[in-house]
Amino acid sequence: MKANKIPIGPFHPLLEEAEYFELTVDGETVVDIDMEIGWMHRGHEYISEMKTFTQSIYLVERICGICSTSHPIACVHAIEDIDNIEIPVRARYIRTLVGELERIHSHLLWLGLAGHFIGYDTLWMWAWKYREPVLEMFEIISGNRNHYGMMRVGGVAQDLDSAKVVELYKHLDMIEKKMVMISKAAKDDPVLKSRLKGVGVLSHEDAIAYCTVGPTSRASGVPGDVRLDEPTDAYDLVDFNRIVLQNGDVYDKLVVRVLETFESIKIVRQCLDKLTTVTGPVLNNVKEISPGEGIGRYEAPRGEVFHYIRSDGTNRPIRHKVRAPSYVNIPSFKASCKGIPIADALITLASVDPCYCCTERSLKIIDKNHDPCSFDLLKASREKTERIRREINAD
Amino acid sequence: MGWYNKRLAKSLWVFHISGSPCNNCDIEILDLLTPRYDVERLGIKLVGSIRHADVLLVTGIFNQKIAPKIKKIYEQAPKPIFVVAVGTCVSSGCCFKESYNRVEKREEVIPIDMYIPGCPPKPESMIEAVVKLVGVLNG
Amino acid sequence: MAEVEQFIRDMGAKIHAKIEKKRRLYFNVSNDDIQEIAEYLFKKMGCRLSTATAMEMYHGIEILYHFSLDKTGQYFCPRVVIKDKKNPKVNSIASIIEGAVWIEREMFDLWGIEFIGHPRMEELLTINHPGTVKHPLRFKEAA
Repeated sequence: MKANKIPIGPFHPLLEEAEYFELTVDGETVVDIDMEIGWMHRGHEYISEMKTFTQSIYLVERICGICSTSHPIACVHAIEDIDNIEIPVRARYIRTLVGELERIHSHLLWLGLAGHFIGYDTLWMWAWKYREPVLEMFEIISGNRNHYGMMRVGGVAQDLDSAKVVELYKHLDMIEKKMVMISKAAKDDPVLKSRLKGVGVLSHEDAIAYCTVGPTSRASGVPGDVRLDEPTDAYDLVDFNRIVLQNGDVYDKLVVRVLETFESIKIVRQCLDKLTTVTGPVLNNVKEISPGEGIGRYEAPRGEVFHYIRSDGTNRPIRHKVRAPSYVNIPSFKASCKGIPIADALITLASVDPCYCCTERSLKIIDKNHDPCSFDLLKASREKTERIRREINAD
Repeated sequence: MGWYNKRLAKSLWVFHISGSPCNNCDIEILDLLTPRYDVERLGIKLVGSIRHADVLLVTGIFNQKIAPKIKKIYEQAPKPIFVVAVGTCVSSGCCFKESYNRVEKREEVIPIDMYIPGCPPKPESMIEAVVKLVGVLNG
Repeated sequence: MAEVEQFIRDMGAKIHAKIEKKRRLYFNVSNDDIQEIAEYLFKKMGCRLSTATAMEMYHGIEILYHFSLDKTGQYFCPRVVIKDKKNPKVNSIASIIEGAVWIEREMFDLWGIEFIGHPRMEELLTINHPGTVKHPLRFKEAA
């Protein structure tokens, strides 16, 4: 049996960031996968050592545009962990509010893209349409659609006045109604179900061996969730559930994300309720950071964000380590991509919600005789969906 | 070129590449296609190949590893092609100015015709930029 | 914290310079013991390797591993100090924990630390880099 190598990337025709994959295929089946990264390497850890603590919060905000409040929250947790700084109760609710709204918009974004990859563009348009009100809520809270700049060591930067809270309720009611509709459409769709069920399975053992985090591991039965394991901010003051499913396929990852969105809506509602009653300051003045080391983490939409900060008593960190969730989730492709057909590779690669979200690329297969033949991954994926749709309708 | 430009302005096809951004601009570009802003009503379409494109949208600080690839993509494009830089990263480097992996002059990698500042720019300002481009093409 | 006490009882002889904080335990281990500690934490206690941090200090290069016990939110952070700055070498834990492969490759890339027994010791981020970036996070005069 001869094995062909399929290069994907580094620049792909549409959408998002650059990434390079090399699939080894045997006929239609993927045998092995290799990744090359570094196309997005900007040297955050190096730049952060030149910035003050307050400046580095703004820097880590720009690591990723989608987790743009998870990184700052983890960063301020790390700095607060050095000195055990307490933050005001109202600030805790505002932090949780912003963090959970981000989870809603990120999961909706992923849901849309997943639909796009398997040729279900209606889902894409729907999910992104109802993602807009969430961005509007951010605009009300912070003044910007993305990159909110809300976090500070010892609290948050801005307070929310009661007029804004009333506006936020209206948006939230609308989002909840639409989410019910989308989730019914997505979860009960027979095409989506037969297209995603049993595809790209990441087993429980592999999820532990690769140290995966977030929805990727929770769909494989690993119950880690930082919000419940180490409750910071307002997570020990609100009521919500841990979502864990067992199958580890792409469909379970979709369901985990949809159910988590509802949990997030629940948390946001509780936070808004509390913000109308809890009063007080939102920022404790922190004058200086003493020497020491601190670990901060936060459950980003994709999993645990980890920040380690070491201070020597000056106003700059001497070491600032950042570990994003995709960094540990992406190597698990080695386990989940083996033995699946090429048409399913695309949605499997997208299933961990990698930070280079849109894994859409066209490929070129070069076989051993070096006869190039063009092969479009997206087309293959969509054709399979179309085939399944026809089969279901025929029944 | 006047005759050609007027035909071009009726329907601009854009291709998008990301050169080490924080991917927020990329999300906002995609956002333009979805029902709230829907630039397809203005004849703008995101295409899957640079060979079909009239406008190239670039984002990010261009790290040294990706810069040759961006150059290669620009060379593959049918001319004339208009390069629109989205975001503060392309124009000034934003907060990544001190990075060791940054290309010093992004204009030397590819010629840039238009800058849209903002971190990230609002979709409205992107639409305005495109409308201005259409206005220039129409003369 | 019963887990921490149990861990210190079992591995007490190998742990030096212990710093205990709320939910955090930092301690030094020697290069020869790191594989045993990692195996104990990962296989026996069911910890997850969160990541590992390398940093260059005046007295040498430090590698700090972060093991997270998800049940209680406890962090175990073994630290290995390498005195030899010119040619740093550490025992790899990638054979025990599959998830450490990328983490160790990144440290090799940015600091030039060589991991003995790693299955694929090459650059992660600056692989096929056209420029001259080499171990960018090391002190410039030491490089």
